[in-house]
Amino acid sequence: MELRLRVNGIAHTLEVEPQARLLDVLREQLGLTGAKEGCGEGECGACTVLMDGLAVNSCLVLAHQARGRSITTVEGLAAAGGLDRLQQAFIDQGAIQCGYCTPGMLMSAKALLLAEPDPTEEQIRLALAGNLCRCTGYVNIIKAIREAAAGEVALKDPAAGVRVGKAAEGERGQELPQGVLLGNEAGMAESAPAAGKVLSGEGEAV
Amino acid sequence: MSDLGAGKANGLNITSGPVEANLEEGGTDLMKAEVLKQVGRSIPMHDAVAKATGRIRYTGDIDMPGMLHAKLLLSPVPHARIRRIETAEALAVPGVWDVFTYENTPSVLYNSQVWFAGQEASKDERLFPDTVRFIGDRVAAVVAADKETAARALSLIKVEYEELPAVFEAEEALRPDAPPIHPGGSPFFSKELVVGDVRDIWPRAKAIAEDRVETPKIHHAALETHVCLAFPDHNGKITLVTPCQILYSVRLIVATVLGLPFNKVRVLKAPMGGSFGGKQEVILEPLAAFFSRETGRPVKIELNRQETILTTRTRTKTIGYVRTALAEDGKILGRTVRTVVDTGAYTSNGPIIGVAMGKKVFRLYRIENQLYRTESVHTNTPVAGAARGYGSPQIHAITEINLDHVARILGLDPVELRLKNLVHPGDFDLSGGPPLGQARILECVREGAKAFGWAERRKRPQGDGRFRRGAGMACATHSNGYFAAYPDFTTMTLRMLEDGSLILNSGIQDLGCGTVTSMKQIIAEVLEVDPERIEAPEGDTETSPWDAGSQASRVTHVAGACAFEAAVKVKEMLRRETAKILECSPQEVRLESERIWSAAKPEENFSYGEMVSLIQSRNRSEVIVTSTYRAQDNPGSYGANFVEVEVDTLTGLVRVLEVLAAHDVGRAINPGFVKGQIYGGIQMGIGYALSEDIAIDPNNGRAKGDRFSRYHLINAPDMPPVKVILIEKGGDLGPFGAKSIGEIATCPTAPAVVNAVNHALGTNLTSLPLTPDKIIQALHYSRH
Repeated sequence: MELRLRVNGIAHTLEVEPQARLLDVLREQLGLTGAKEGCGEGECGACTVLMDGLAVNSCLVLAHQARGRSITTVEGLAAAGGLDRLQQAFIDQGAIQCGYCTPGMLMSAKALLLAEPDPTEEQIRLALAGNLCRCTGYVNIIKAIREAAAGEVALKDPAAGVRVGKAAEGERGQELPQGVLLGNEAGMAESAPAAGKVLSGEGEAV
Repeated sequence: MSDLGAGKANGLNITSGPVEANLEEGGTDLMKAEVLKQVGRSIPMHDAVAKATGRIRYTGDIDMPGMLHAKLLLSPVPHARIRRIETAEALAVPGVWDVFTYENTPSVLYNSQVWFAGQEASKDERLFPDTVRFIGDRVAAVVAADKETAARALSLIKVEYEELPAVFEAEEALRPDAPPIHPGGSPFFSKELVVGDVRDIWPRAKAIAEDRVETPKIHHAALETHVCLAFPDHNGKITLVTPCQILYSVRLIVATVLGLPFNKVRVLKAPMGGSFGGKQEVILEPLAAFFSRETGRPVKIELNRQETILTTRTRTKTIGYVRTALAEDGKILGRTVRTVVDTGAYTSNGPIIGVAMGKKVFRLYRIENQLYRTESVHTNTPVAGAARGYGSPQIHAITEINLDHVARILGLDPVELRLKNLVHPGDFDLSGGPPLGQARILECVREGAKAFGWAERRKRPQGDGRFRRGAGMACATHSNGYFAAYPDFTTMTLRMLEDGSLILNSGIQDLGCGTVTSMKQIIAEVLEVDPERIEAPEGDTETSPWDAGSQASRVTHVAGACAFEAAVKVKEMLRRETAKILECSPQEVRLESERIWSAAKPEENFSYGEMVSLIQSRNRSEVIVTSTYRAQDNPGSYGANFVEVEVDTLTGLVRVLEVLAAHDVGRAINPGFVKGQIYGGIQMGIGYALSEDIAIDPNNGRAKGDRFSRYHLINAPDMPPVKVILIEKGGDLGPFGAKSIGEIATCPTAPAVVNAVNHALGTNLTSLPLTPDKIIQALHYSRH
């Protein structure tokens, strides 16, 4: 079956089996191996990607459910050669050990910050509820997301009291990855809980 | 500086202030902590950017032209002789290259935990056994062009089993009428360790507590499932790409099973997506190697989560019986500890781990009369093996829960009891093990208790409503390598290139804990360079020197000491060769911040790169050193956890509110990495205490916790805030005094949590994990 979708801003037309999972199409047909399979049942979140700006477990999404949608994987989180503020914060805060959960963590965190740019620690913890990590105890991951959020808020509202450094200025002109539909942002915040990870377009939280 | 290279002086007395010893002028005063430039920095892991961007290629991410995929058929029955395997239908599926069973694979027996040639071990594993011994044992494999075809063909294999009686419980396996799983039956190993005499302590005791403590069979739960890739070359060599902990163990076992010379098996360490001991043993590698040789193609085996839980390794289920006698003054008069170690269906490290547990009971408290006895048994359950702590989480759960029990009987505060009995720096191991070294557990407990507010929290009322609060603590010790137990040494080659950059060639395996970066920091400190100037690739058995592997908490303490020595020797060589160029004595050569000069002519200074180029062209020498470090000590690493919990008496759910961890690490090479180990260790320990259990059904041998939806790791909302105190006073032989952290980090947590729950509820719960039903049941009994 033919499948058209956008992945990291690039339009693809693919021949995909009806039962194929989005995760397999990303990894095997598009060579985007950032998303990992840790459990195959939506428990560990290592396969998390964004679908129209919402975090989904790509092991539970049929590829054809992504028809006409825009997918962002960890490879598309930042413009080529650069780093998203979240990626930089994960590196700086020691939020990465073995790194296997990292792409999923980053994408869940990104979905959270798109919906809630200035989350509380509780919101961060809930947003990561479906992302397991065995190395870090989540401590530095939570710290990194707070740091990244503080930076984002400062960018949008320099009066918030956080100093906007040189690096932040450099990123000011940087657009969000094309796969993320900013137009949905406002509606998303209303319709989905900040922490919600949706299974598919139906908005079923998992 | 030359004395530092001798091994015995390296790292000694690092923080005991400035040391006058033998430091040449102008050299880096490595003995002074306050002048350390690279050691003690929390720089990011070497591959953090690649991991953050998804660019890093784990083994499962690798595709090769012509690569085939293997899928394993696992036994659905717990114990059976295979009467017949029908594979014709599977073989007929288009895209299937071959089907393997016990009938067409080597019958060579091996033990998956053997890591050096000549190591004695009971060999009871083979690629595919003709008798399956647990649900999850390997029956067959299909090798096909893709995963889907392999899975489809696998379902067409027909197996006729002749079922045999099975045993699932460790203590049932000890009964004389238990069905034997291997010749000789269980126990297949027993050992006694004795200090003093426990026979006459009991009448003198003021308080005696006796407990049966049960610890569960758990899954390591690395996010990366087990995976391996093997490919043959045109000359009969098999190369393996594998996220392993011990490259040379993989080489040994693959070569043994396939009957190949060691130099025809090449093992490359792939990025590790988490291990925790789960990938320490050699499980998939000989299968992948054999399949690739038979098909002539690259073959990848990638297990899913359920397969990883069932057919790789678990932590041993352990049952402990402890009896402790306290004197009136709170001193421990003596103790008996007996363990029954359930190693599952194959022997693996079953004998070693019971002894490893036993050694710990002599290294934490001053106990003059103590008897430890262990027995190892086989059961028809998933195979146990190495798991973070290698017996330490089990034995510390057993003994530390009991210690709180006996403190309760005497009305002593748990911290007070421990302060009266813990070992002191410089103590000896009464059972004859290596000296404890700078064992600073007393400081961990004192400082930890103070920072945690132990006295206040402990006094706070538990409450009598639905939610009860409690505070608990526990201590633990773990090793620093294999010195005094097994051959422990590492060889490394370090060279400086013509631009002043360096390459460390070694057999290291980074498990995602920061080994590569730690080695760079150690070398950078000695050689006055930026760590970024050093490449320290992970091991390759064809080109890297031998290493005993990332096991036994040996990497920083032993391999790190080797990196230190190699760097010291490169520095000496650089001095010697530079002296010839600058026509001065080596003692006059000065090095700082990648510049080098003679004290007599400071204005005439060179970059390292310029000097190495001059050394090559004029002296016709390369700045290169190969150095072997032989471990000469094995001090204890120590840690204490302080925990506050809230128990919901209606649901039985426990919430850990806060944890404080105090660890004696000697010296943190990279404090960020050290804390990272502690945070993760605590998460693993809380899971061990409260929720993690593969939970073998005693009726049919089926694992209830065989997937993440039924096996509960602590997730972000459940993870409490953690505070860390590091005691860094050096004094042992690790680089800059560094001791291990990765394993000890998880050892004190579970007993601290259990002790806190018992404090909250006034119970004496001793069976881990403390699931809601166990808590509700305990409350029910305490009411009636």
